[in-house]
Amino acid sequence: MRGRDIVGATRRFMLAAGLATSAALAATAFQAQAQAPSGPPIRIGSTLALTGPLAQTGAIHKIVGDLFVAQLNARGGLLGRPVEWVLLDDQSKPDITRTLYERLITVDKVDLIIGPYATAGILSAMAVAQRYNKVLVHSTFGIPKMAAYDRQFPAWPLGIDPEKTMPNDLLDALASIGKTPKSIAIVTSKFPSVQFVAVGAREVAKARGVKEALYLEFEFGTRDFGPIAARVREADPDLLFVGAIGLEGNQLLEALDKLNYKPRNHFYVYPTPGPLATSPLGNDAMATTAFENLPPLNKNPEAAAFAKAFTEAATKAGLPYTEPETQAGASWSMWEILTGAIKATKSLDDKVLADHIKKNGSDTVLGHISFDGQNNYGKNLMRTKQVQQGKWVIIWPKDMITPGYTVQGK
Amino acid sequence: MASVTADTPLIPTRSAAARFGVPTALAVALVLLLLLPALGLPPFFESFLYLLCLWISLATSWTIISGFTGYFSFGHGAFYGVGMYTTANLGASLPILVCLVIAAALAALLSLGMGAVIFRVRRLRGELFALLTLAMTIVVATIVLNTPIDGGPGKYLLGVQLPRIYDNSATTIYLLGACVAIGTLAITYFIQYGRLGRGLFAIADDEDVAEGLGVPSYRYKLIAFAISSAIAGVAGAVHAIFVSYVTVSETFSSTVALFVILMSVIGGMRHWLGPAIGAVFVTTINFVFVSGDSALAARIVIGLALILATLFLPEGVAGFVQKQVHKRRAASAGSTDTAPHVLVPAAPIATAPATTERPVLLKGENISLAFRGVQALDGVNFDIRQGEILGLIGPNGSGKSTLINVMNGFYKPDTGRLLFEGQDLAQMPAHRIACLGLARTFQIPRPFQHLSVLDNVMVAAMFGGAAYPQETARRKALETLDFVGLANRAGAFPSELNLHQRKFLELARALVSDARLVMLDEVLAGLTPSEITSAIAMVRRIHGGERTIVFVEHNMRAVMELTDRLIILNQGKLIAEGDPRTVMDDPAVIRAYLGTSDAES
Repeated sequence: MRGRDIVGATRRFMLAAGLATSAALAATAFQAQAQAPSGPPIRIGSTLALTGPLAQTGAIHKIVGDLFVAQLNARGGLLGRPVEWVLLDDQSKPDITRTLYERLITVDKVDLIIGPYATAGILSAMAVAQRYNKVLVHSTFGIPKMAAYDRQFPAWPLGIDPEKTMPNDLLDALASIGKTPKSIAIVTSKFPSVQFVAVGAREVAKARGVKEALYLEFEFGTRDFGPIAARVREADPDLLFVGAIGLEGNQLLEALDKLNYKPRNHFYVYPTPGPLATSPLGNDAMATTAFENLPPLNKNPEAAAFAKAFTEAATKAGLPYTEPETQAGASWSMWEILTGAIKATKSLDDKVLADHIKKNGSDTVLGHISFDGQNNYGKNLMRTKQVQQGKWVIIWPKDMITPGYTVQGK
Repeated sequence: MASVTADTPLIPTRSAAARFGVPTALAVALVLLLLLPALGLPPFFESFLYLLCLWISLATSWTIISGFTGYFSFGHGAFYGVGMYTTANLGASLPILVCLVIAAALAALLSLGMGAVIFRVRRLRGELFALLTLAMTIVVATIVLNTPIDGGPGKYLLGVQLPRIYDNSATTIYLLGACVAIGTLAITYFIQYGRLGRGLFAIADDEDVAEGLGVPSYRYKLIAFAISSAIAGVAGAVHAIFVSYVTVSETFSSTVALFVILMSVIGGMRHWLGPAIGAVFVTTINFVFVSGDSALAARIVIGLALILATLFLPEGVAGFVQKQVHKRRAASAGSTDTAPHVLVPAAPIATAPATTERPVLLKGENISLAFRGVQALDGVNFDIRQGEILGLIGPNGSGKSTLINVMNGFYKPDTGRLLFEGQDLAQMPAHRIACLGLARTFQIPRPFQHLSVLDNVMVAAMFGGAAYPQETARRKALETLDFVGLANRAGAFPSELNLHQRKFLELARALVSDARLVMLDEVLAGLTPSEITSAIAMVRRIHGGERTIVFVEHNMRAVMELTDRLIILNQGKLIAEGDPRTVMDDPAVIRAYLGTSDAES
């Protein structure tokens, strides 16, 4: 009997589950049918570095854009119309970026444009947008003071002066555990979007009474970090601040390791996240980030769904690092800002959209981004992260610290 | 010298259409490009055309030094970068046209400084020159990066004021680009068909021979390098405004160097229009395949297209077209081909005065030259008298060709003087010696392989002692080719000639500029007996009783028939000189050279 009960219960459960599933599917189908976008698509044009030296990061932005547009259309598109992303390959070249944005606007006649990847390309696109008074929301512009066009909106919430906020946040984080450094060594790549941050760090250190033990610039593309490492070891600072982009941080750490030197506290401006987290030398390394798939950021269901979808897509695409971080997060928020404004204003007019974005800001997976400051840069939403036990966790500001973790400093 | 005969199939003189057609077409193209914005086309087309113009300017300017002259440069990006940073630094405070002039001047100065050093060393050709220019790019980039010229963060061109032609500053950039491109094409066209171009092509094929024919190779290379670099500088100066943000990594990347090479190879490096064809092809194909859905596939397609183009059009599109035109001309000329000249042996000049009574034309005093311890010439003293045929003989390795090379300026003697009408030739560059009226042939013919037979001779006519203007040089070259029996091969390339004909081409080059002293280095070597008979007759006709000839030869029949006087070298020393019969009976000569008293070989 007991078995028969179980079978009966199971049968009843299966029936109920089947009915519920059918109902859910019917409801979804009905909902989908009700919201199925129709009419001519809203065409949003952009370029990305799909080939050329920036293609590896460009691929992240393509995954994000494809995901976002697919989800957007699955939810009914915009203004009842489907959305079409007209994407062109700018080959990592600013001059081609400029010309393709002119094509998008004057030949393809897209309804709206959205930003490409990387500072130089965005600057090229911005000049075109300005000539045609188009709104340009962009995601990875590294030098805020250069973004002078009033209808450009940065989805990467650096604040207008990351060269101050970034080192200040870092020093605040260390101070919070009583490890304020007495000396700092600043070594930086001469890559435009990190060099000015390093120069700013120098001023911040001076203002906060941290002794500058070393300031050193090296050329972007440097492979031999031996001499630089020797200078760092000789300076032996409490904090090593590295204006690094890409793998430069790893390369410097490896050179330091050969000299049997481990920096006490070390920070990297824009490192490639995967290799630094997984390297045994990267322990306690700090960096800046806009997004990590960590609480409290992923407490937002939108952010959690985005993170999950991105990781799946990135895994499928074979990306070496499949966790969403600054690039993916800022790219997603770029789409959120533009489409959010369209939904809110029910308009495709650039002036209407620009006014709305400027006035209201936007809720994104990175948090609420405001555009009420100089060059439409609002509040700085960047966070400081640190490698702990082989993975990145957020350690600053206080309200963003990953639960269960704290700043590690020496 | 003989004049053109009625049955000589002449290459027609350049028609008015050929002379003025291209400049007119370029002028029309410029006007059309300038009027294009008035048509109200979408601005994308202006932007796209601007990029076409940029690459046309860069690739075409590159070919002036690398295609025309054969000095393969990887450093074009440096000059382009100098231009970019000129505008980036001065654009806000100076009018744009002034910036362009400064950019051109700075780029030209840089190339002149570099060329002045590199071009002095002959061996710095080929890959060494390419590596040096590449290194120069790195050096310039490092200087820019580590000085206030950039310093690292890049330069944002905020304050550059442009005139708003058609009420649009973007159109102004396009118009500037169009002017630079058409200007570049015009300059390159005039270079190619002018004196400079002929000299450069000769340098590309065989620099030593070009120098020996009177081409001032050092000066010409410097001029070509400076023009090429100045254009790249101007193109860069305009492009800085187009991109509006200039960084070292973008500016001095390998893209510029690789793209201009690629474009020139595809289009053809030895034609003024070739690089432009390549630039249009590569830039257009880059813009045709930009869809985001197939970016990688598109790159592969482009790569394959480029590989196929390079494989099947190794001389580029322009080279291929030139070849087809040449074949067609050759085919039509073949149907009306005249019979080759059969030169009848001329009778010896009966009343030639004794050569010892004639004035000395060239006097060699104590000429010595050693190569790594081997004494090639050892205190040689000799006279060459006006109007004589002087035989210069000796066993292999005796120093005959070395002496010719010394007289010709290819080698500088360690000691001694070579007095030619009071001037010492010993330390004079070869091209200046050629301009004084000394010409030579080579034992193994060294024609300019990529120039037609006519052009080969024209180079000598334009740069040798006579230094004829182009049209006169053309007429003289045709006359000379007729004289040596090659008029019906004037349009052929040297590779299409047999050895006999190539030897006669050498003769034509030596004769065309009315040289006063002709040095014939074993012109009979490798010829058949009937060809030798014909060649002896030819030498006699060249001499004509007046022209001074130095005749280096192993063929003793020819020596005895032709020469007025002999000098004999052995192991770098002059061991005998005088009347041929007397000298050949000299026991020292017999011992050192002949080993037998029989003078006939």
